Amino acid sequence: MSAAGLTPPEVARWADRAGLPLPADRHVAVAATANHIHSVVAVLRELDFGDTPPAAAYRVGEGYDDAAV
Amino acid sequence: MQPYELSVAAAADAIRARKLSPVELVDSVLDRVEKVEPSLGAYVTVTAEEARRSAREAEHDIAAGVRPHGSLHGVPMGLKDLIDVAGAATTAGSRVRAAHRAEADSTVAARLTAAGAILVGKTHTHEFAYGLTTPQTKNAWDRDRVAGGSSGGSAVAVAAGAATFALGTDTGGSIRVPSALNGVVGLKPTYGLVPRHGVTSLSWSLDHVGPITRTVEDAALVLTVLAGHDPRDPASLATSVTDYRPGGDTDLTGLRVGVPRNYYFDHVAPDVETAVRHAIGHLESLGARLVEVEIPMTRYIQATHWGLMVPEATAYHERTLRTVPELYQADVRVLLEAGELMPAGDHLRAQRARTLMRQDWARLLEEADVIAAPTVPATAVPSDQSTLTWPDGTVEGVSDAYVRLSAPANITGVPSLSVPVGHDTNGLPIGMQLLGRPFGEPVLLRVGHAYERTRPVRPVATV
Repeated sequence: MSAAGLTPPEVARWADRAGLPLPADRHVAVAATANHIHSVVAVLRELDFGDTPPAAAYRVGEGYDDAAV
Repeated sequence: MQPYELSVAAAADAIRARKLSPVELVDSVLDRVEKVEPSLGAYVTVTAEEARRSAREAEHDIAAGVRPHGSLHGVPMGLKDLIDVAGAATTAGSRVRAAHRAEADSTVAARLTAAGAILVGKTHTHEFAYGLTTPQTKNAWDRDRVAGGSSGGSAVAVAAGAATFALGTDTGGSIRVPSALNGVVGLKPTYGLVPRHGVTSLSWSLDHVGPITRTVEDAALVLTVLAGHDPRDPASLATSVTDYRPGGDTDLTGLRVGVPRNYYFDHVAPDVETAVRHAIGHLESLGARLVEVEIPMTRYIQATHWGLMVPEATAYHERTLRTVPELYQADVRVLLEAGELMPAGDHLRAQRARTLMRQDWARLLEEADVIAAPTVPATAVPSDQSTLTWPDGTVEGVSDAYVRLSAPANITGVPSLSVPVGHDTNGLPIGMQLLGRPFGEPVLLRVGHAYERTRPVRPVATV
């Protein structure tokens, strides 16, 4: 995806690839929202994660020596 | 004082002592519902007939000498309409669920019923909890302003005396935001403490269920009933049975209250900052020691939250987004559709950022026993207002602003308790949140209760 964001026709193609064919009257609105979401989450690319694993499933108390206080 | 004005603790005690019958209490709350509902719209459905029948049964149990069968015997409640109750629709605030019927109780509904609580009705939610305003419902203190969301109906019902307590869900502040905006107490428990089986999901890795009440003690009473392992929720944790009801001691000597030097007081309305700092000062006057703390990774909070929530929410709605997209409200539909376009790499980055954030917050919470901060940066905005403009010219969407200070507790799973701490110049409620370590609910409830016991009693909203 370019820095300029997805165009409505690109959104139509991406959505189709994702298995969600979008009617033409949705392309502009979805492009605007998708580009806004992208602008928010793209900041995570600044982080150097090294060996950090994803916390897809996690136990919340890990890392706390005295969780119960 | 009318029965509908009683706290959970006072009502349950009065019923146990046979000074108040469940029928009197339920009738009083239902009368209140009838009076306030036309102007507030807190409920999707009111189950008056069933509630009165349950109340008569509860009264009969007492008259027959059967010991009250639970700590909430005869106490009327509202449940957010994402929470399954057997035989009733869980509409999730959506036309998508128009024909829905829950086949069984959710874990939380079953536990509350077993404790003797009586369902008054299902409360409005922003559609599928994917929003922060709950447009169906009016603020309990000003009908021209937002209720907050997504558990807006629950918070407004409790604030107005139309439920003695209620449950909400919280994925980015949806218990705490409406609680703060309506002047009631909201608790987002530790991730995994309260089972979500039978509760419609917004985002599995961020969702929590918790109580909305008029006092901190009430939140503790309800949490005691709700908490505990259920293997049907994969995130549910094995925990020992705990009585969360706080003691009467208001001495906070030795407790370290972390006061953020960054993030939580940035872009916050002056009235909100003043009220929260005043409340923090009150905690200090009770013996707490204030320590300045640095909130980690603040630049990445919204990105992490969205990187988790957006694709998870879209995944939950995969089928209906393809079959009946026109039944969603416009704001929710476009978010779900756009969520299809997020690359997996962005989602994984958010999960890895959550790992880092959890590690940093664990270190942060070695420096303080609780962190005290505003729940939301502004009070309830007029219903037609979509943005906030801060003094430096920054324009922020209302929903983004309301989520901003709540999201860290969803990402990290730490508990957060919102407590009313005053009003702005328009008379609108202000909330302070207390954040603690995982399973640190007893500390949060102790601090909140100490604050509450040493401040004037708050009345229900006059509608």
